[in-house]
Amino acid sequence: MTDPVRATPDDSTLVRIRGLTTVLNGKTIFDALDLDIPRGKVTAIMGPSGTGKTTLLKHITGQMRADAGQILVNGKNVAGLSREQLYKLREGIGYLFQNSALLTDFDVFENVAFPLRQHTKLPEVLIRDLVLLKLQAVGLRGAARLMPNELSGGMARRVALARAIVFDPMLILYDEPFVGLDPVALNQVLKLIRTLNQTLGITSVLVAHELEAIKQVADHVFLIANGKVVAQGDPKTIANDGSPWTRQFFGGEADGPVPFQYPAEDLAQALGFAGAAK
Amino acid sequence: MNVRTPQSNNVVIQSLTQIGNCGLFLLTLLMAIPRSFRYVRETIRQLWFVGAMSLAIIMVCGLFIGMVLQLQLYNVLSIFGSTSASGMVVALAVYRELGPVVTALLFAGRAGTSITAEIGLMRATDQIDAMEMMAVDPIAYVATPRFLAGLIAMPLLCCVFCAMAIFGGHLVGVTWLGIDNGTFWSNMTAVVVVHTDIVNGVLFKSLVFGAVVSLIAVFQGFTTPPTSEGVAYATTRTVVASSIAILALDFVLTAFLM
Repeated sequence: MTDPVRATPDDSTLVRIRGLTTVLNGKTIFDALDLDIPRGKVTAIMGPSGTGKTTLLKHITGQMRADAGQILVNGKNVAGLSREQLYKLREGIGYLFQNSALLTDFDVFENVAFPLRQHTKLPEVLIRDLVLLKLQAVGLRGAARLMPNELSGGMARRVALARAIVFDPMLILYDEPFVGLDPVALNQVLKLIRTLNQTLGITSVLVAHELEAIKQVADHVFLIANGKVVAQGDPKTIANDGSPWTRQFFGGEADGPVPFQYPAEDLAQALGFAGAAK
Repeated sequence: MNVRTPQSNNVVIQSLTQIGNCGLFLLTLLMAIPRSFRYVRETIRQLWFVGAMSLAIIMVCGLFIGMVLQLQLYNVLSIFGSTSASGMVVALAVYRELGPVVTALLFAGRAGTSITAEIGLMRATDQIDAMEMMAVDPIAYVATPRFLAGLIAMPLLCCVFCAMAIFGGHLVGVTWLGIDNGTFWSNMTAVVVVHTDIVNGVLFKSLVFGAVVSLIAVFQGFTTPPTSEGVAYATTRTVVASSIAILALDFVLTAFLM
């Protein structure tokens, strides 16, 4: 294995995570996690709720610092970057938030144009064309002058997606991109993710729970549980690899390595039956 | 921006921690001012929201405070037969104390709370995180323009407040109670000193109060827990902390400037 300290960028791996350890409020989220995200591929991160999938994305973008370990994005150690260097790195990363996070003061057009206006001096005509093309890609060119509060949840997500790709980034991180989408919009978003990946070579990382959608779009799946990668592989075969982790997660079973119940005292005791039985 | 939240249950330690964090936040704001120059349009937009949109309440309150002050003074001074001095006392009270203090209190209630609530909701809906992810510094884009807008707006609003209070005093004293117009103005101009009363009283005090209220409002917005309850508490804290800070600072400034 490559020495993480002296790891250098290579052509095949865009994000390299080594020994990532995170403890939040006394709970271990990641326990020496190792993970490689291949360049130019669509990678899905899956796992039960609360396993730290969104936290992992925040580590990759430097929004959250890890307690230990190293994250290299395009060969750059995220933890070692200055504020300016981190912002420079983020200009090459698109991020689709779980709740869209549209700027409520601006209409749809201005939301998508926001990164362009902040980081470029492009003429207004070109900004207009670029924004309209991105909105056309997500099917919302006609909604350009609507305000965020006039959009449905699915529409807001598609606007956020248009904003995330407006810079044609090297890496796009999608946090739950399929939630709230109707079947038509879901299909279009799947196609868009695949098209961006194939035509522009953009690396995509998806955090999602929808296995059927993941099967259509992802090249590689990581299943995270108990702070580690417990399974990985091709999305069409990972569900059938037979391990207890995949059987429980993809089979939707309550009993398995990951307990369905949050740790608590015995139910009979909580309901006062334990004392009555004596 | 990572600001430590108070962990202790001790109210004194919590308050001191808040003040310390607020001081660190002020340093961050000041360092971000050069970076915020590229967002001049945002500063002007905020100046409109916190300044121009506060004009109505400032003007109405200034008018009535001037009127009631003149009425009370007339009644008291008539005992001593010196009602002609009431205009002068109205001017001194308004320029030295009431103008800056009441404007700042109104500003905290009108603009401070809206700044806190707006930033708090931006945090709760991940808009601040989204800016960070788009490589836009939220301190330079969100916090500093609002801070600068408050700093610029407060002295201007205080001038408007004082003008309206004097107008209100004139309305009651001269138009209603029959004080001689010439006496009203000549007594006032005879005792009001530009440096002591206008520069120190109106401009300097209101500048300090503007900085304090804007700092508290922005700080509370940025450090509020991203929940509806958190935003509600933060707006309340903005009014309470601003009011205490204004009144305490007013005493300190008056003691030094007299």
